[in-house]
Amino acid sequence: MDYIDPHIHMVSRTTDDYETLARMGCVAMSEPAFWAGFDRGSVESFRDYFRQLTQFEPKRAAQFGIQHYTWLCINAKEAENVSLSREIIAMIPEFLSESNVLGIGEIGLNKNTKNESTIFLEHVDLAVRYGQQILIHTPHLEDKFQGTKMILDMLVSDSRVDRSRVLVDHVEEHTIQEVLDRGFWAGMTLYPVTKCTPARAADMIEKYGTERLMANSAGDWGPSKPTAIPDLIMELKRRGHSRDLIRRVVYENPCKFFSQSKNFKALPASS
Amino acid sequence: MMSNDPKPAARDAQKILTEEFFIARSKILDLAATLDRLDRANGSVDQLQQRKLLQQGMEILLDDQPDKAKRVQLLMSRPYDPDWRKNYGLH
Repeated sequence: MDYIDPHIHMVSRTTDDYETLARMGCVAMSEPAFWAGFDRGSVESFRDYFRQLTQFEPKRAAQFGIQHYTWLCINAKEAENVSLSREIIAMIPEFLSESNVLGIGEIGLNKNTKNESTIFLEHVDLAVRYGQQILIHTPHLEDKFQGTKMILDMLVSDSRVDRSRVLVDHVEEHTIQEVLDRGFWAGMTLYPVTKCTPARAADMIEKYGTERLMANSAGDWGPSKPTAIPDLIMELKRRGHSRDLIRRVVYENPCKFFSQSKNFKALPASS
Repeated sequence: MMSNDPKPAARDAQKILTEEFFIARSKILDLAATLDRLDRANGSVDQLQQRKLLQQGMEILLDDQPDKAKRVQLLMSRPYDPDWRKNYGLH
């Protein structure tokens, strides 16, 4: 089955992984800007990273017939450095006209600090001023509940934000309902140990339905599985769910959400 | 906000139990073995917050209330303060 991975960090994966993903049915992916495993020291480091995301990765993906899209920001972890963050936010518009940019992301919170919140609000303002969609990172483990509610507070307090153009990622059992009830899109991240398993993601689909709900692998340089979406497809098939339902979650919903960006291109007819 | 997509039909409980019994059995054994490992180890962790959270989590599994996964998640979460923005001076 053709599918789209709406959140995967391909800069940290090999070209072999692109080939494997294509063989598994991946036809498109979006790659939010994120933490590199260490804090970068200057705006030039981010400029090079954004060149990698907008120029190099699309070419690697295209070798295997995969459309590569991206989102730009300084991630929540490095946002603790407010002055560097502001330099990067000022630089981001240089890249917004690149043909694979879908919006601003993955912005959010990490440890739910004042500095992270300040930079989150400034990213949201940037997205609104430039008419960009937003992709959001919610914190890990014990910080997720508190951080997700803080993020939702900030988003709903800005009347300029169109909730149908915001994807809140890494939802789990204790955060998904409020995200959906408030009119945002929600993404379940299939990630070993710290996030959600395919079985638990299938449970959430059964409980909440498929509207405004997607799944992603978030495959990166940590312990993660870039082929996690095919695992979810298998789990849903095993439970006897229809092809239409599965396709809605792994293909149609990402298409519907991404289509709100002028840079998203129609995909070839899918299987 | 109301959903336009209908939820999938509920599955058969006996079928789920049959399919998932060995998976659940394995997870209970892993948890039991972790507790045994702690018992065999030097020192005591009974007063540590992490050990108390595991105990409270296991109690949620044993009670007769629904939404166990959500309640375990909330147990393991930091509390949310609705006044956080005022406390941070962010308006």
